Amino acid sequence: MGKAVLINDKDNVVTAVSDLQKGEDAVYKVGSETRHIKTSEAIPFGHKITLAKIAKGSDIIKYGETIGRASKDIKPGQWVHIHNTDETYAPSR
Amino acid sequence: MKFMGYPRPDGKVGARNHVGVMATVGCVNEVVLPICHQIKGTVPVTHQQGCLTVTSDLELVQQTLINLGKNPNLAAILLVSLGCESVFPNEIRDEIARSKKPVELINMHQLGGSIKTITTGCEIAEQMVLDASEIHRQEFDASELIVGCKCGSSDATSGLSSNLAVGEVADMLVKEGGTFLFGEVCDIMGSEQILARRSVSKETGQKVIDAVNRLIDMAESAGADVVGCQLTEGNKKGGITTVAEKAIGATTKAGSTAPQGFINYGETPSGKGLWIIPTPGRGFENLTGLAAAGAVVHLFTTGLGAPEGHPVMPVIKLTGNINTWNRLNTHMDFNVSSIIDGTETIEEAGRRLFKELLKVASGKLTKAEVLRYDESMNILTYGPVI
Repeated sequence: MGKAVLINDKDNVVTAVSDLQKGEDAVYKVGSETRHIKTSEAIPFGHKITLAKIAKGSDIIKYGETIGRASKDIKPGQWVHIHNTDETYAPSR
Repeated sequence: MKFMGYPRPDGKVGARNHVGVMATVGCVNEVVLPICHQIKGTVPVTHQQGCLTVTSDLELVQQTLINLGKNPNLAAILLVSLGCESVFPNEIRDEIARSKKPVELINMHQLGGSIKTITTGCEIAEQMVLDASEIHRQEFDASELIVGCKCGSSDATSGLSSNLAVGEVADMLVKEGGTFLFGEVCDIMGSEQILARRSVSKETGQKVIDAVNRLIDMAESAGADVVGCQLTEGNKKGGITTVAEKAIGATTKAGSTAPQGFINYGETPSGKGLWIIPTPGRGFENLTGLAAAGAVVHLFTTGLGAPEGHPVMPVIKLTGNINTWNRLNTHMDFNVSSIIDGTETIEEAGRRLFKELLKVASGKLTKAEVLRYDESMNILTYGPVI
């Protein structure tokens, strides 16, 4: 069993804090409660795992803030990274 | 929450009781350092500035030196001047003297060279240290504390542990009525709109956005795309997906309260709570900007192990990387890898860090102080060297 961290209650992703194999359960805490998410692919340390389905065009939330937008549908347990995420930041010049 | 600090004549409270030996220009660093190595209780305030830069930068350097001199960690200040610098040593002395702390100015051209200036400086500094030793720590409320933060040599653990623990401390200190300083424009870039929305006034928010845009413009004029190269291959390999994610992960150090105001480099905040200061990411200039803003303790998060301290304020090094904690243990003050391994929550680590902050503010030494890894510093300038 691997480990992950939920940073903010509003987040729809958790971050792996151990290297996770495909199909491995990642344990994370929500307050004092322990939950787990089953990975559908290998996810390295420091990378993000989806908790609930994120539809294409929807916000990816970490730190309680929008860190990017899904460029395709992302299912629970999937790896969230540059292959399925668009940048949301643009300078306001 | 209380800590034991040094009372100053202007009502501010210090975490240290140093005599500062301050170069008005980089040309006298060679005089300042021997004085400090000879006289116990002194710290060197050296830099590469004070001459042959554009007027706006000379004014920035002069203002920074004045406010460094006023930092409550310094009990007294010995100013060392060359005699032909472009900043105005008399003005620096007179402005620092408004804090009612002892200030003296010596001039190397008048004294006749480095050997005589070192000798005269040692005699003055010796008496200043003796006088300062009669000032004693007293109990103060945590609301008197001004604390700065930055991250350096970050890795995947920074945005998952150490930055978040600092953010908890920022919120706790603001709740206690204290002052927390957050900056690093390069790190804000990507989260400036979030910080602006959170700010108490539209004006403060716009200044945060303007500071980021200024950095982007300056880099562009030098032919660089700072936004485009912000997300490095190493970041992506470490799990950071977007510029926004990187920025928000760094901005967590500021906690969740509303920025109360924005000050320029070299200035001090006019109120309490969370304040934004546009420091650069580089430690030499960054730490000086925070010390000049009045920070008496600094929280420095690192992933791979940034070693630097600062002469004017103690710098607490914290890491969430257990390998860095073990390998660079002689430099690391505080371990939050507990957040990564799940044995401590972010809130618990933050509360533990706040206690450490109060201990350091009360006199516990940091490893950078003990190692004397705290003499290098510089002052920010924007324009060309002439």
